[in-house]
Amino acid sequence: MKRLIIFVLLASLLMLGTLSVTAQDTFFGKTADELFPIPDVAANEQEQELAFQALMNANIPDGRALGEGKTMTFGVLGQGSRGGISGTIYFWRNAFEAATGAEMEIVEIPYNQLGTTIPADFLTEQYTYDAFIGAAWQYGDWVSNGWIQPIDQWIGDERFPQWSPDDTAPAFRALLEWDGQTYGTQMDGDAQLFYYRYDILNDPDWQAAYEEEVGSPMPNPPTTWQELLAVTDFFNGKDWNGDGDPDDGISLHLAAGGQGHFHYATLAASFAVTPSDGDDPTAVSKYDNVFWFDPDDMTPLINEPGHVRALEFLQELAATGQEAQFGWQLGDAWDNFLGGNAIATFSWGDVGSLSQDVNRSSIKGNLGASVIPCSSEWYDREIGEFVVDTENPNCVGNTTGGSWHPTMSTFTEEPELTYFFMALLANPSINFYNATTGWQGIDPCCTYQLYSPRGNATSEDYTAVGFDAGDMERYINSYGANVYDKTTYLTYLRIPGTLEYIQETLDIRLSEAMTGQSTAQEALDATAADWAEITDDLDVDSQLAIYQASIGYNP
Amino acid sequence: MRNNRAKYAFLMPGVIWILLFTLFPLGYSFYLGLTDFRLGREAEFIGFDNYSEILGLDGDGGDDKALSTAGFTAFLAVGSTSMTLLAGTFIAWIFNHDIPFVKQMRAIITMPLFAAPIALGFLGVVIFNETSGPVNNILQGLGLPRVNWFISPWGARFAVLFTDVWQWTPFVFIVVLAAMQGIPEDLFESARLDTKSNWLLFRHITFPLIAPALGTVALLRLVETFKAIDIPFSLTRGGPGQVTQTYSYYTYEKGLVGSFQLGEASALAYLMVIVAIIISAFYFSRVSARFE
Repeated sequence: MKRLIIFVLLASLLMLGTLSVTAQDTFFGKTADELFPIPDVAANEQEQELAFQALMNANIPDGRALGEGKTMTFGVLGQGSRGGISGTIYFWRNAFEAATGAEMEIVEIPYNQLGTTIPADFLTEQYTYDAFIGAAWQYGDWVSNGWIQPIDQWIGDERFPQWSPDDTAPAFRALLEWDGQTYGTQMDGDAQLFYYRYDILNDPDWQAAYEEEVGSPMPNPPTTWQELLAVTDFFNGKDWNGDGDPDDGISLHLAAGGQGHFHYATLAASFAVTPSDGDDPTAVSKYDNVFWFDPDDMTPLINEPGHVRALEFLQELAATGQEAQFGWQLGDAWDNFLGGNAIATFSWGDVGSLSQDVNRSSIKGNLGASVIPCSSEWYDREIGEFVVDTENPNCVGNTTGGSWHPTMSTFTEEPELTYFFMALLANPSINFYNATTGWQGIDPCCTYQLYSPRGNATSEDYTAVGFDAGDMERYINSYGANVYDKTTYLTYLRIPGTLEYIQETLDIRLSEAMTGQSTAQEALDATAADWAEITDDLDVDSQLAIYQASIGYNP
Repeated sequence: MRNNRAKYAFLMPGVIWILLFTLFPLGYSFYLGLTDFRLGREAEFIGFDNYSEILGLDGDGGDDKALSTAGFTAFLAVGSTSMTLLAGTFIAWIFNHDIPFVKQMRAIITMPLFAAPIALGFLGVVIFNETSGPVNNILQGLGLPRVNWFISPWGARFAVLFTDVWQWTPFVFIVVLAAMQGIPEDLFESARLDTKSNWLLFRHITFPLIAPALGTVALLRLVETFKAIDIPFSLTRGGPGQVTQTYSYYTYEKGLVGSFQLGEASALAYLMVIVAIIISAFYFSRVSARFE
C-alpha cells in the first residue's frame, strides 16, 4: 500500500511536471519554433527564446471566440519583415494568429506614400485596413475626417491582452489621444536625445587638449547647443578614434526626403519656444509654447528670427561633420556614429538600443547619452528681441518623430479582433522586448522601460538581454529625463495637411538652405509663403480651430 | 448589311478601349483642371484659374516650383536625348563592324534597357555614393576630385542624367544598329574606292541613311524624358531641395501625395501635354518631312 501511494504520488508529480512543461513550452499549442521560426521570423535562438519568454509573460487571453475563421488586414509603414516598425507586425503575427485563430494580412506602405495610400483608401471608400500603424502627426487628418475610432471601451477588458495608458509617459500619452479620447495603443515613444562618445569626452588627454586649444574646460557632457558646437568643432577633422583618418564632430541625416526636418525642429525648439511665465510653464499663449503658427490667426512663425537663427546654427553645426551628411538618410547618420566615426549625434532612442548590437555598432560600452541640449540664445517673441543667458539657458524638450503606433479604422467590421492585436503589441512584456531589439525601431515610451524614479525597470532587465549596464544607465535615465523633466516641450504639429506643411515644403526648403541653394532667411521665408498658401487652400478657419485644439490654446 | 454589322462588331472593342482609356481620362482630367478639386472635398468650377496661377497670368508670379521643375525637365530632355543619341550611335557604329564576341557584347550592352527605371535609380544610389560608390572611386583612381553627387545641385542633376543615359543608350543602340545593318554594303564598297576615311564614310553614307531612325528615336526619347519620374524618385527623391524634381514628379506630388490637389495637378499635366504636342507637331512638320 505504501509503495502504491508513493508510486501514485510520483506519477502525479511527473504528470504535473509534464503538464507544466507542456504549458510553458507552447503558446496555444504552438512552440517557440513554430511562432518564431529561424530565420524567417527570429534571427537566432537567443532572439527566439527571449521573444517566447516575453510572450509567455504577457498572459495573453484566449481570443479564439473573436477570431476563428476571420481575417484582419493591417497597414503599416513599410520597411520589410526585419525592418523598423513593420518588422514588429511580422514578428508577432504568428502569436496573434495562434491566440485568436484569425489570419492577418500585412500591407506595407512606404514612408513617402504614408500621406497618400491611407487617405486615398478612405477617400475612395475602399476601407482596406482594419488597423494601421502611422505617425502621430497624422491624427489631424485621421480624426477630423472620422477615419479612426476611439478604443477606450476595450481598455482593461479581460478578453484582451492587458496594457494601461497610465504606464505611458504623459508626453507620449498625449499623442495617443485626441480631445480626451484614446485612439492609439502604446508602442513607440519617439523623442530625440543627445548621444556622444562617453570614453572620448572622459579621456583626460582629450580634455587637456580641448582646454589648451579652446581656452576653457571641455563641457562634459555639453548641455547647450552652443557648447555642443564647440565640442564637435574641436573634434571634427581630428583622428580621435585612432584609425589613421580624420574623424567627424557631428553625424546628422539631412537629405531631402530623409526625415532631416526632425533635426531642425528638435534644435529650433530651444531657439524659438519660450515657456510661460506663470505657474504653469507649459501654458499656451499667443507668445509662449508656440512654434509652428500664431495661434490667433495661423500666420506661420517659421520665418521669425528665432527660427532663422536656429537654421543658421544647424548649418554651423552640420559643418562640423562630413559634407556627405546632406545626402544621408537616417540609417547613414546612425551608422556613422555607431561605427565610431562621429563624436556626437542627436537622434531617436533607436541609437541607444542599436549601439548594443555588436553586428552594427563598435561603441558598445562607450555610449554617452544626455537630455537634448538647451540654448543660451533664444528669441522672445513677446519682447521681440533675442535673449542671451548662459547661466539659465532655454530648455525645450521634444517628442519629435512619429511615435509609431496602431490605430483602428472606424470602418472595420472586426473591431474587437483588431483591438486584440493592438493590445497585444501594447502589452508591457511584449513592448519591453520590442524596444530592446533595436532593429524594430521601437523606442521606450513607458514607465516599465524607465528606471526609478520615473519608472520601475531595473538595470538587470536590460543586462538580461545582453545590454551594457553603464550604457543603459546613461541612455535610459536621459531618455526618462528627456520626456519627464523638461520645463516645456516643442508643440507637436498634428493638423490636417501636416505632411504637406512639413514633408512637401519645409523639408525641401531646409535641404535648399543646407546645400547652399538659399540662405536660412530665404528658405524659411519661402516656407512661410508655402504654408500660408496651404492653410488658405485647406480653409484658414477650420485649420485654426483644429490647431488651437491640438495645442490646447484658448483665445 | 450583315457584313457591316460584323465590321462594327470587330471595331467595337477598339473603340470602347479608346473611349474608356484615352478619351474619357483626357476629357475628365481637362474638366478637373477647370476646378479646385481636392480629393475628399467638394469641387468648384473655377474656369482657367489653375492655368493662370501656374503661368503667373493672375499677376501673382506663377508657380515657381512648376517653373523650376520644368527647367530641370528641359535639362534632362535635351541632355539625355543628345547624350543617348551620341553614345548609342557610336556604340552601334562599333558593333556594326566585324569584331570578336559581338553577340555576347550586344547582349551585355542592352541589359540596362530591361531593368525597371526605379531599380536603376536605387542602384544609382549605391553607384554614386559619395564615400563608397564606384564612380567616385574611379574618379579618385584617375586623380580627379570626388564629386558630391547627392549634395551638390549640379552633381545631383548629372547623377540623374547619367542614370537616364545609362538606361536608354541601349535603346538607341538597338534601333540605330538595325538602321545601320539595313544599309547596302555595296554603297560602302563603292565609296571606299574614293576614300578610306571612316569619318567620311560615316558622314556621307551612314549618317544620312540612319537619320530618319535617329529622328524617330530623338522624338521618342524627348517624350520619354518629359515623363521621367522613376529615376529621380528613387535616386535623389527630387533633392537636394527640389533641383532634381521633374515636372511629372511635381505633378504627381501635387495630385497624389498628401494634398491631393487633383484640379491643379490636372492643369499641370495638360500644360505638359500641350508642350509635348507642340514638339511632336514640329517634328512631324519639319524633321520627318526632310527625310521623306
